[in-house]
Amino acid sequence: MAAATEVSVPDLGDFAEVPVIEIHVAAGDVVSAEDPLVTLESDKASMDIPSPAAGTVRELRVKVGDLVSRGSAILLLDTGGADVEPPPLTDQQEPPSQDAADPVAAAREPAARSASAAAVPAPADGPPVTAVEAGSPDGFEGAHAGPGVRRLARELGLDLSALSGTGPKGRITKEDVIAGVRGPAAPPAGAGAGVAAGGGIPEVPAQDFSKFGPVEVRPLTRIQRLSGPALHRSWLNVPHVTHDDEADITGLDAYRTELDAAAKTEGYRVTLLAFLMKASVSALREFPKFNSSLTPEKDALIYKSYYHLGIAVDTPEGLVVPVIRDVDRKGITELSRELGAVSARAREGKLDLADLQGACFTISSLGGIGGTGFTPIVNAPEVAILGVVRSKMTPVWDGSAFVPRLMLPVSLSYDHRVIDGALAARFARYLCHLLGDVRRLVL
Amino acid sequence: MENQTAEVLVLGGGPGGYTAAFRAADLGQRVVLVDREPALGGVCLNVGCIPSKALLHAAKVIAETKEMSENGITFGTPAIDLDKLRAWKEGVVRRLTGGLAGLAKQRKVTTIRGYGRFTSPHQLQVELAEGGTTTVGFEQAIIAAGSEALTLPFIPAADPRVIDSTGALELSEIPGRLLVIGGGIIGLEMATVYHELGAKITVVELLDQLIPGTDKDLISPLAKRITRAYENIYVKTKVTGVQAGPEGLTVSFDGPQAPATDTFDRILVAVGRSPNGKLIGAEQAGVAVDDRGFIAVSKQMRTNVEHIFAIGDIVGQPMLAHKAMHEGKVAAEVIAGKNSFFDARAIPSVAYTDPEVAWAGVTENEARAAGVTYGKGVFPWAASGRSLTLGRSEGLTKVLFDADSGRIIGCGITGPNAGDLIAEAVLAIEMGADAADIALSIHPHPTLSETVALAAEAFEGTITDLYLPRK
Repeated sequence: MAAATEVSVPDLGDFAEVPVIEIHVAAGDVVSAEDPLVTLESDKASMDIPSPAAGTVRELRVKVGDLVSRGSAILLLDTGGADVEPPPLTDQQEPPSQDAADPVAAAREPAARSASAAAVPAPADGPPVTAVEAGSPDGFEGAHAGPGVRRLARELGLDLSALSGTGPKGRITKEDVIAGVRGPAAPPAGAGAGVAAGGGIPEVPAQDFSKFGPVEVRPLTRIQRLSGPALHRSWLNVPHVTHDDEADITGLDAYRTELDAAAKTEGYRVTLLAFLMKASVSALREFPKFNSSLTPEKDALIYKSYYHLGIAVDTPEGLVVPVIRDVDRKGITELSRELGAVSARAREGKLDLADLQGACFTISSLGGIGGTGFTPIVNAPEVAILGVVRSKMTPVWDGSAFVPRLMLPVSLSYDHRVIDGALAARFARYLCHLLGDVRRLVL
Repeated sequence: MENQTAEVLVLGGGPGGYTAAFRAADLGQRVVLVDREPALGGVCLNVGCIPSKALLHAAKVIAETKEMSENGITFGTPAIDLDKLRAWKEGVVRRLTGGLAGLAKQRKVTTIRGYGRFTSPHQLQVELAEGGTTTVGFEQAIIAAGSEALTLPFIPAADPRVIDSTGALELSEIPGRLLVIGGGIIGLEMATVYHELGAKITVVELLDQLIPGTDKDLISPLAKRITRAYENIYVKTKVTGVQAGPEGLTVSFDGPQAPATDTFDRILVAVGRSPNGKLIGAEQAGVAVDDRGFIAVSKQMRTNVEHIFAIGDIVGQPMLAHKAMHEGKVAAEVIAGKNSFFDARAIPSVAYTDPEVAWAGVTENEARAAGVTYGKGVFPWAASGRSLTLGRSEGLTKVLFDADSGRIIGCGITGPNAGDLIAEAVLAIEMGADAADIALSIHPHPTLSETVALAAEAFEGTITDLYLPRK
């Protein structure tokens, strides 16, 4: 069987929409089986797509930069009668035979591939057996329908679990299936499963708590009504990871206590938060990815050359996050005064919209209350948030003895699409290192 | 033989394999069927279901004539001509396998006799029965290579007095004392045959009941009858060794009722069957086979290799011909582009013992284990006119219903012809019938089939053939 065969992207694992980064052949090139045709780059690695057979490249169907998925056409290959081995499924597969006269080879016409592909209406994902028929209605478990009706539904691509029957006792009849396919409400095959698995998140069912005891309904505050959806959005959109570390702040705290004693006479307080802000800015400078955001298309990062920090503040009305601007240009004294002022305004509910906008990175401190660690939610489109809890005097082995050190647990949550674990660990370590010796903060 | 090509290769000509081959051919595929036995039909037709049923019929005739002596008709002691009996059995088998050969021919299915092993994802090499080898190139394949009887390592397998089910069906002699190792369906069916042909039977079972896993109330009428009829039945008992001697096979037991040792003339090993997944070169085709020899498949019978399917014993329990046949049709239809699935809601099991035991769908044991809330209707055959006219009263029919939907989820039947009666329950389960659907369908009187409707009536509380105190 001469003529051109379309070579497409085989199933090489779990990827889709990956760019073609290199093309190794041009129209007219003669290739042997297993010669690389194009190179694709996934997020994990680049991979060559080998030629399934010997032949002549008739026409390229991709160019560098095109995004391809499994099944995307790469090129037309003129096999000139040579057999075309389907893309390798396993390591054990024999190299393709070049002998067109071999009767065995004749059985391997590409037509066999398309026939087998047609037998699987759902996209087949290769080896994992469970994935092969994913999306196809299978047992219609629980559907009140006899085997003949179940077969008809499958032939017509109708999901019986989404259908109610008109037969006796709600049994689904053949007529119901036919009406279901014709009717406007007919869901495409597998639609039911798609909804359950993807977009719509099932609602928590309503419950009448008054059945169990006395209750009272109080409306959410305005802040809670606004922050709730924002937190939910961040939680659902950002793949979160939280990294824990701890900083030795014995020296820093002694210095802070001195400053605070002096500040009190001037009517403000010096808290650990001001130091955390300065250390965070140093760490953001060292690791600029933490001071970035994903573009809406999620194909690039926007790096920021300013350092505005959000500070989570607990108020009687709920959580607010006022923003302290240009932290890199302010000293501890100025930051301490500003923190005092903005916190007071936050508690009085007097913050402006401008006070809440423009943060690059957020700090949430629960040190005044306690705790040993938590997993803060990244305030998207920021890519990381630092959580700190109460510092604690801890015996630390200094090489010859246990010495009492004031240790501060820090929890760094980050967007794993932007930051990987090693980078987060380095960021946290760097931050703790700075906090470990207050002199480093001025470097 | 010239090398062959096929659109669909089927490896194995048992009930699953020939069904798949014929269905694929009927759907327009060019099919090659490779089987190692001289006749199509696999274990089932040649050395399983069919010959055993012929012999069980003979056993039943003997049993019934004996029973009738109590009711006024006395026959003489039967004279058993083993050669003639064997020839009759073989004739039945020949007729069926010959029929299959004809069906294959009419469909233009090429049959190759020999042992097939994959050599690549698109090639099978066959060691031909007639000598030499040939290669079959294929586009898609259906593996239906079945299973074989498990052996026990400590039993001298080479001793001709140790037999498996195949050996038992050969009927070479009637031993004086026969030990059946394994109290499952196969062991008990062969015990039924040999008992009626005059052997003294001892059955030994490792677990705590005969036909393990089945509801105890279904097994108890059978256990009661054969405990009286057979020499010994040892449950919770292990065979720890077999010593072959000129006088017989001396067997050591470890169990509460069993003696330390006893000597038998023959041993039938019926401890289960093992899938043939490791014997067909599956790895050369890239098909994954687990440690035990099973091949995992999807509900479309597809293996991990997209163009290779597997069906029957080799894909898992229950190892039953009727399951394999349905799976074979699914595989053939999927290959032909149909969107078929194996989605059976009940696969019936039948022990052709005396009495027969049959069940389908959920058993009570399974329902309890799964925490399913169910209701149950039981009809004892002591109240069935038809059963009493057959001279039998020990049977029962039990139907289980889902507590929420009211639909039938399972059924178990013990008594003569239970295997035929269970089909109604399978249909009812597939159709989602509830107790009223079954009870209100008029069953002919007097038949054993009535017991299914009467069990449904017992569940509904509408039964008049029994008096059940109000729930």
